[in-house]
Amino acid sequence: MKSTQYTEKVLDHFRNPRNVGVIEKPDGYGKVGNPVCGDLMEIFIKVGKNDSGEEVIDDVKFRTFGCGSAVATSSMVTTMAKGMKVDDAYKITRNDVADELEGLPPIKMHCSNLAADALKAAIDNYRTKSDPYVEIEARACSVPDIKIILGEDEFLGKGVYKKVDDLSEFNGKRVLVVDTGDKSLELAMKLTKHTGRVVVLTSAKTTPGSEELKKKLKLSDVKILHESELLEIQGTDDVEKVIIQDFDEDEKYELFVDTVIILEV
Amino acid sequence: MSIYLDYQAAKPVDVRVVSEMTIYFNNKFANPSSLHCDGDEATDALIESRQKIADFINAPNTSDIIFTSSATESNNLALIGSAMRNKKKGNHIIISEIEHISILNIAKYLEREGFKVSRVPVDQFGIIKLEKLEKLINDQTILISISTASNEVGSLQPIKEISEIAAKKNVLFHTDAVASEGVIPIDVQKVPIDMMTLSSNDIYGPRGVGALYLKKGVRINPIIIGGGQERGLRSGSENVPGIVGFAKAAEIMREEIKTEVIRLKSMRDKLIQEVLSRVPNSYLNGHPEKRLPNNAHFRFDYIEGESLILSLKDQKVAAATGSACSSKTLEPSHTLISMGLLHEEAHGSLLFTLGRFTKEADLDKAIEVLPGIVKRLRLLSPLTPPELIKKYNEVND
Repeated sequence: MKSTQYTEKVLDHFRNPRNVGVIEKPDGYGKVGNPVCGDLMEIFIKVGKNDSGEEVIDDVKFRTFGCGSAVATSSMVTTMAKGMKVDDAYKITRNDVADELEGLPPIKMHCSNLAADALKAAIDNYRTKSDPYVEIEARACSVPDIKIILGEDEFLGKGVYKKVDDLSEFNGKRVLVVDTGDKSLELAMKLTKHTGRVVVLTSAKTTPGSEELKKKLKLSDVKILHESELLEIQGTDDVEKVIIQDFDEDEKYELFVDTVIILEV
Repeated sequence: MSIYLDYQAAKPVDVRVVSEMTIYFNNKFANPSSLHCDGDEATDALIESRQKIADFINAPNTSDIIFTSSATESNNLALIGSAMRNKKKGNHIIISEIEHISILNIAKYLEREGFKVSRVPVDQFGIIKLEKLEKLINDQTILISISTASNEVGSLQPIKEISEIAAKKNVLFHTDAVASEGVIPIDVQKVPIDMMTLSSNDIYGPRGVGALYLKKGVRINPIIIGGGQERGLRSGSENVPGIVGFAKAAEIMREEIKTEVIRLKSMRDKLIQEVLSRVPNSYLNGHPEKRLPNNAHFRFDYIEGESLILSLKDQKVAAATGSACSSKTLEPSHTLISMGLLHEEAHGSLLFTLGRFTKEADLDKAIEVLPGIVKRLRLLSPLTPPELIKKYNEVND
């Protein structure tokens, strides 16, 4: 079966997804997946009581970034869970969702069928009454440890910069700017006039910088990697790529760049 | 039949090619190796076809053309054949980070056989870094293989400069010309190429045929052993109808390439301009000018490519993506990653490739449906920033 050979039911839920959107002040919120892998979904639930006094899912909404089956499974799991007792909804498995959709291509069973997991995460969040937003903000605001970046000294002058004088040096380069404060963010924005490839790496969860800078950054062509840390700089003679740690997903990945700017504070 | 904008994946066979081939299936069907008159007819067809392919690339001798079963086979013959032949001279081979999967996997095979392979990095436009290439060459280097253009993002490689570097350092140079052969004429007497891979389907000939241009004097080992056809470099009875079709396709292409490219380029430019202006947060991947005249490779923030392809399919538009979710390995396009794109950006890529039978109206349709599709998927996506959602909703009101 080709990865895009979907059943009519999958296609229907992809074309007309049910329960799309956000619930303001949800009772439970679950987020699974990772844009790096190509799938990310979030589910919001509102919990109420039925006539027998049992907890039921009164309302459920989702948003999904991903392929056809990622959208369809999210839509399906929300239609299944709506009105269901919370205990029963918690038992919905990946296979149940796939069965309701009359099957998924085998390769999609693993990668995209995260919807049941997202629902579980939302119910877990409801049961523990933890506020996911608060938790993440708290972590991002903690004082960072002093970090050692492998290769930082080795590649100094060979693609690693600690200060910058002439911006035209970076014409057409793929530049990674490590967020070391507002100065580094201003520099990143200026660099977009010289190259189409400027990425800022920050440990913050949301857009970094002062209020005014935040607005400008959002409108600029700078790409921001949130909740990330630079682990290592690699190359043969000069910088070719970096290894980045994503705290949110607890994952490491590579990014190909020519230049790393770590402005001294 | 949908609006077909995926010419990089497969091309239809030109009807003029089909009609030229038919007689060789049942009437002039004989084996060129046979000594009877019927065999001579087949031999004549082969000689004539070889001449047409040689003319297509301006090869000085018809014997420089080795017919194979595909471009993949030609790549195998060039890389494995020259590596085996030259292994006493050295064990180092250079390719680029963004080669076609066939070259990448042949290189992996050679690594397992004890060869060392270096991969030249590319810049943000997908063009190889010449100064890196030069530094990678050492006294063990026996072969450089770099394609004329990226089959994905369409970036044109500095082939002339690469071939000159290779010649200066006395290293063999092979290029896979499949992505560019139907849109950029190649003259092997002007560019010192030692080996070049050609495909029949990529110039609107039948599939199942390819060729390797092998410069006179370049020595390689065969990888298919048998009756000694094709100067002993590719045994097996010749696929005469396929070869005749390939040659006819080359003949037509040689005559029409100039006018065809002007037409393709103007359509492509319109497509790029319209898409970038109508879809917010959209970008062109690859080089703005140094790119294949029929290639438009986009990326759209916050959405995923397979969803785009599925939605376009519903509107009867056929295109391609570098997203992981559409691949067998679930890895995003290696080309886009090597160019420095983030994984999530590579996932949101969309490739349109135009060809001989693409009409203006086809592009108009694609341009018309794309903005709405992107908007729908963005309104579904948790990555879309609130500002953009607001902007989309305002336009609605």
